[in-house]
Amino acid sequence: MLIQCLNGLVYGALLFSLASGLALMFGLRRIVNFSHGALYMLGAYLGYSIATKLGFWPALVLSALALAGLGALLDAAVFRPLQDRDPLIILLVTFGLALIAEDVVQTIWGNDTHSLAMPALLAGIVELPGSSFPVYRIAIIAFGLLVAGGLSLWLKFSRVGLFVRAASFNPTLAAIQGVDTDRVSLMVVAVGAALAGASGVVAAPILSLAPSMAADILVDSFIVVVVGGLGSLTGAFITALILGQINVLGIVFAPEFTALLPFVIMVGVLIWKPTGLAGNRV
Amino acid sequence: MKAVPFSLGLLSSLLLATTAAHAADTIKIGVPTSLTGPYVELGEEVKRGAQFAADEINAKGGIKGRKIELSFADEEGNPDAGRRVAEKLVRSGFRLLTGPISSAVGLAIGSQVEKWDALYISGINKSDRLTGEACNPRMFRANHSDSMDMAVIGPWLKTRKEANWVVMAADYAWGRDSAGAFSSTAGAGGKSVKSQFFAPLGTKDYAPYIQQIKDAKPEGMWVAIAGRDAVNFGIQAKQFGLMGSVFTVGQSFAVPSTIKGMGDVAEGVWGVVNYTATIDAPGNKAFVANWTKSFGKDPANFEAETYVAMLALFAAIEKAGTDEPGAVAKALSTISFDTPFYGKVTMRPADNQLLLPNYIGRVARVNGELKTVVEMTVPAADAVPPPSKDCKL
Repeated sequence: MLIQCLNGLVYGALLFSLASGLALMFGLRRIVNFSHGALYMLGAYLGYSIATKLGFWPALVLSALALAGLGALLDAAVFRPLQDRDPLIILLVTFGLALIAEDVVQTIWGNDTHSLAMPALLAGIVELPGSSFPVYRIAIIAFGLLVAGGLSLWLKFSRVGLFVRAASFNPTLAAIQGVDTDRVSLMVVAVGAALAGASGVVAAPILSLAPSMAADILVDSFIVVVVGGLGSLTGAFITALILGQINVLGIVFAPEFTALLPFVIMVGVLIWKPTGLAGNRV
Repeated sequence: MKAVPFSLGLLSSLLLATTAAHAADTIKIGVPTSLTGPYVELGEEVKRGAQFAADEINAKGGIKGRKIELSFADEEGNPDAGRRVAEKLVRSGFRLLTGPISSAVGLAIGSQVEKWDALYISGINKSDRLTGEACNPRMFRANHSDSMDMAVIGPWLKTRKEANWVVMAADYAWGRDSAGAFSSTAGAGGKSVKSQFFAPLGTKDYAPYIQQIKDAKPEGMWVAIAGRDAVNFGIQAKQFGLMGSVFTVGQSFAVPSTIKGMGDVAEGVWGVVNYTATIDAPGNKAFVANWTKSFGKDPANFEAETYVAMLALFAAIEKAGTDEPGAVAKALSTISFDTPFYGKVTMRPADNQLLLPNYIGRVARVNGELKTVVEMTVPAADAVPPPSKDCKL
């Protein structure tokens, strides 16, 4: 059972590192970014191509950097010009971007399923009480915790973090106080995209690459963000971990309902607390 | 490069649809298959197989001077989408259908073809229901069914020492059928199946299933998972130390497309082999050579099986002398034709199942490349169980 809980943590950690960017973007820009899954996918594919030349670690770093650049571009070219329009427009535009990204991936990398070899350093198996467990999966949990820790330190203690919190609390007031909200949000979207890209690379050795991966993961990460409370990092963290456990426990104890459970929980939470578990604070 | 003839084909099909006089000139075959979704790679194989067969016969001048025209559509691996796009194909004149991957999609289309005055011939679907309770005079199967695969697994399993087995299968018509058939076959051979696990199509993380399989401590594992899911399961099972320590046999699990994704993980996996480029048959060498000339790699099983379904259609159209689905179906129910690798094959009218030989093989390194090697060949006479009593044609 311990092993199964660990398995839940692995998926939860992965979901969180992806959904954190989504939560940040919503908190700051009040946008629902349907292309977030596509950023994850692009990160994974870029990582795959880089890794075949340079190995896993450079792939992780370079792919995250490339996605940060793409995120900045996304903010400057899409989110900023559309920020005063109906939120539905951004939703549709990002959905369109996701479809384009999927086609681009199909054209460049084809429809074959690719898989990325895990770094040799983490390729082993560790003996835990009860069973053996792949070291790489433990590294994924560590990665999730690192992202959570890093983000909360950044938001709490850095000057930019203060601006981010201020701007997501009240963008107008923050702007009046001299916070350059456009610059702040450019940074936040870049960080969110970089995290999505890094999650893609980190997930690649266990979840193979295919053009459908963007759509697959997007639904789960939206559940995380919505149940956690739109824009809340803490809420997303808690929800991702719960969702990971529910996925595993569902498979073990009630396999017929596994696919249904996350949605039941989402509906339940939204009825009970429409703002999500952690309200709407960052 | 390939996009040009395809869009030309699309354009010309539009033109043809508007000019009824021309419409009779080509023989129209509709191919609803997975262009997106979890089986997209298998859908590409179907596309290549169908296109190769059509190009080959068109190069020879078509059937009685009439060229074959194909139209592809996306069934998304989803029965509802499959039925919708198939009906659209039928409405635009493509009434001879083949191509869906998932048995659930094949059944959704096959159950409607009588109503649509169309015809469906499966090249991929394995679920016994197609030729069992769901059978009808317009639905055919040119590939191996689950029970055909089991008919060769039974005798082979008796030669294995592993006594305790688990089943890991995809949670829909095919996976459920495969699991049920394997369990009863294993039971009949004195083996026990301790547990069966079913994962939804498109499952990303198989770890919870893998852990349960490890806890069951089996000696052997039957895997009925295909496409991208197979790659995910294989890689993750290896990471957990499951594959490599437990004897693994699969159905549609370790096939060329998934072997490419899995890499070394696939080495040593046994399975029912419905087609492999290494089959030692007189016509196969020439077929493989022609195929390699077009696509730069060996033909994979779904490519060859789709090719057989197309050959069956061509033979029946030729025999019927028309492409009217009713007449083609009548000819198809007793058709007999030559294939490059299975030899001469015949359709069984009792359940519209094509009688085929079958093989058991394993994945091994041949000159440094991972390939499926045939270990046992079973001729059609022994490889096909009698027709199901549930099918009354």
